[in-house]
Amino acid sequence: MKLKRLYNIKRDTNKWSIILLTIVLFVSIPVLSIVISAFDGPGESWHHILTTVLPTYLENSFWLVVGTSILTLLLGISSAWIVSRYTIPFKKQLEWLLILPLAIPSYITAYSYAGFFDYGGFFLKISTLKVDIMNIYGLVFVLSVSLYPYVYVASRAFFVNQSNNIIEASKLLGASERKTFFKLILPLARPAFVGGLILVLMEVLNDYGAAKYFGINTFTTGIFRAWFSLEEPETAIYLSVILLVCILLFILIEKRQRRNIGYFNSVKNHREVKKISTSKNRQYFLFLIVVLPFFLGFIIPVAQLFYWAFLTYSDVFNASFLLIAFQSLGISLLSAIFTVFCALLFIFASKWNRLSFLKSVEKIGILGYAIPGAIIAIGILIPSLALDKALIVFFKNVFDIKIGFVLNGTIIILIYAFVIRYLAVAYSPIEASSLKQGNSLVEASKLLGKGNIFTFFKVEFATIKPAILSGCILVFVDVMKELPLTLILKPYNINTLAVKAYEYASDELIAEAAIPSLCIIFTGILPIIFLNRLISKA
Amino acid sequence: MKKIVSIILLSVLAIACKSEKKQADKKEQEVNVYTHRHYASDQELFAQFEKQTGIKVNVVNANADELMQKMTLEGAQSPADVLITVDAGRLVRAKNKGLLQAASSEFLEKTIPAHLKDVDNNWFSLTKRARVIVYNPQKVNAADLSTYEALTDKKWNNKILVRSSSNIYNQSLLASIIANSDEDTATNWATGVVANMARSPKGNDRDQIKAVVAGEGDLAIVNTYYIGKLLDSKDPDEVKAGEGIKVFFPNQNNRGTHINVSGAGVAKYAPNKANAIKFIEFLASKEAQKVFAETNFEYPVNEAVQASELLKSWGTFKEDKLSLSKLGENNKKAVLVFDNAGWK
Repeated sequence: MKLKRLYNIKRDTNKWSIILLTIVLFVSIPVLSIVISAFDGPGESWHHILTTVLPTYLENSFWLVVGTSILTLLLGISSAWIVSRYTIPFKKQLEWLLILPLAIPSYITAYSYAGFFDYGGFFLKISTLKVDIMNIYGLVFVLSVSLYPYVYVASRAFFVNQSNNIIEASKLLGASERKTFFKLILPLARPAFVGGLILVLMEVLNDYGAAKYFGINTFTTGIFRAWFSLEEPETAIYLSVILLVCILLFILIEKRQRRNIGYFNSVKNHREVKKISTSKNRQYFLFLIVVLPFFLGFIIPVAQLFYWAFLTYSDVFNASFLLIAFQSLGISLLSAIFTVFCALLFIFASKWNRLSFLKSVEKIGILGYAIPGAIIAIGILIPSLALDKALIVFFKNVFDIKIGFVLNGTIIILIYAFVIRYLAVAYSPIEASSLKQGNSLVEASKLLGKGNIFTFFKVEFATIKPAILSGCILVFVDVMKELPLTLILKPYNINTLAVKAYEYASDELIAEAAIPSLCIIFTGILPIIFLNRLISKA
Repeated sequence: MKKIVSIILLSVLAIACKSEKKQADKKEQEVNVYTHRHYASDQELFAQFEKQTGIKVNVVNANADELMQKMTLEGAQSPADVLITVDAGRLVRAKNKGLLQAASSEFLEKTIPAHLKDVDNNWFSLTKRARVIVYNPQKVNAADLSTYEALTDKKWNNKILVRSSSNIYNQSLLASIIANSDEDTATNWATGVVANMARSPKGNDRDQIKAVVAGEGDLAIVNTYYIGKLLDSKDPDEVKAGEGIKVFFPNQNNRGTHINVSGAGVAKYAPNKANAIKFIEFLASKEAQKVFAETNFEYPVNEAVQASELLKSWGTFKEDKLSLSKLGENNKKAVLVFDNAGWK
């Protein structure tokens, strides 16, 4: 029996199994380093944390997750469905405008809203109502309006691309538009929007800036309290691994639930969804629904930022900003490309490899997103420094040359870190899209004697292109805003706009942080428009 | 496959050669600074230092605990020369973790008062900030204010505004109470303040001041440095908030007002130790201290330099001369006390 299994392994191993294993190793080293360090156990304050503060932190995190899930799904799915199904005013523009809230770091959105409702803020000037947004409801609101685009992008990639047949068939059978949506489209779209939702949840669980400012203690607050206040990095690592396990469980349960459902589309009749035109009044109503998330997630915070920027530009803005903006742009683009490449390799190597026990291993790849950035930085430092130190010894013994760190403090490590961190962001839309795609064309191509790579470029690439581009956009804007990894791992003379914004914000100079924040937003918009155009064309 | 391997090997070689070349060119003097401070005043001073000495300042800018973790992992190969933090507690932590080394400098020893530096010269304070009480003069009579301890009095019920206990300045304040009295006193104090809070802790120091002006509470515990920044703000509403409060220095009749510092130490494995000391000496020099005082509203540690006009307008005050090392030693205890007292 055992022998037979071994024989099977030998028989089924192909070069994709090896590539898959290599890449799994490549992306899992940082996470593994963290998990391994967690086996040292928590520090001595563990009991204290467990008994005094953790229950409240868990409760807050729970409600935060529930609240933002509901709200982001509502905002994301409804807007994605309307823009891909109905004719509404400014549809073309809204398609990409709806992604923009993602370009604002959520802590900046939180500060903007606090400023907006605050003493001396705009809201109090036009009304007498004092709205207190700095509580858990406010936090759910702020995180939802800034993170719903994950759900929107994933769902739209699905809606735009889904074949018209389902809708037409459903209509022919006499189902109403509403019934078609709830009974057919929504269940079919599940892999897509759940993929987006998982990203939202990981962001919510990792959020530190917004929650801290609003005074809401969450599980992640606990991680940093253990590290920064109780002086126990080991307890922080331990807590992060618990968080990681929870997220992993969630992903596995979700995957198990949809295990037996095939999400293939018949691809024979692949036409774009026919737009429905409705009465003018209904159009305006739908328009309002779609504009609302954009208004709340983008217009209000950006208006507030513009007001602050207007007050502070003379102090803050100078020529060096242009250089920093370019550096940010370059780093983000490079990282986006590498990350998407990695994600593709991951998904397809796993598809083409024939070893069944390797099939589920791919999930490891997305774990980098489930751990707070500052912790994953430790996970990256541990192996990369080990390698660097080994190199130093090697060069000293063999060539008698004294070298410094070769990898650390270079752009290579920084981009590696971003790939690890944001692999999940690129992976989700691409996986959802390739799941949906039928096997018939691929099998036809294989039958004609074409190889995997040929088939990929000629057949699969064309259909998953929108998803690849969505992945690119998401990683790009995420890297533009990224903070802890950039701070800890960046080379000396490289700077990013997010670092600039943080320098001011952490010094309580929120108004001064407006200019770098606006630069992040507007540097991010250009590629979003560009990539979105490609999605629409594809 | 062979091609790929050879490309990888070549690129590794290229990088190695490049770094080797860098090593050879390293006649160029430099100092690598790991800092938690990220103020415009600091960038100005680093540039000034480069100009004066020709020593290039390379900066890594992050949270002090993250920087300390990085230094620990880097070990003996760490490129860090100087560690700068925004509180004494972290410097004590760094010393205890063996990340710092003694720096002998006649100038620093002479210039910086004993309670503001490490006994073994592992670190030196550079600037001071006082944690004071600000109050709404329309609601509070200054004569009713006296000490931090008196804030637990029933008369302040529902009137006190203060930020979260995750903030290091609150932790230091409580650590100073533990050091000056004991843990029980500290627990009673924290519990008493929590009972008197006007709202659950949120926002930063500026937000506490704004809330006083907006009438959410009568007084707040904040850092002097943020009041200065608020008054210097470009936002007219913030300036108005800053003008709406008055500053009170507590504990003038006993130990003095609690102060915290930002400071620097030479890294244990500093590759450029001499430059590191030169760098810290420069930051403690008269000209640098003036910049800290004038542009960043911090109290200078160099007694030859005066505080800014604004800070002087709040009056002189007696500061708690407790050795700052005690703050570091008691910081963790303070956090435990906060948690037990339910100070969010």
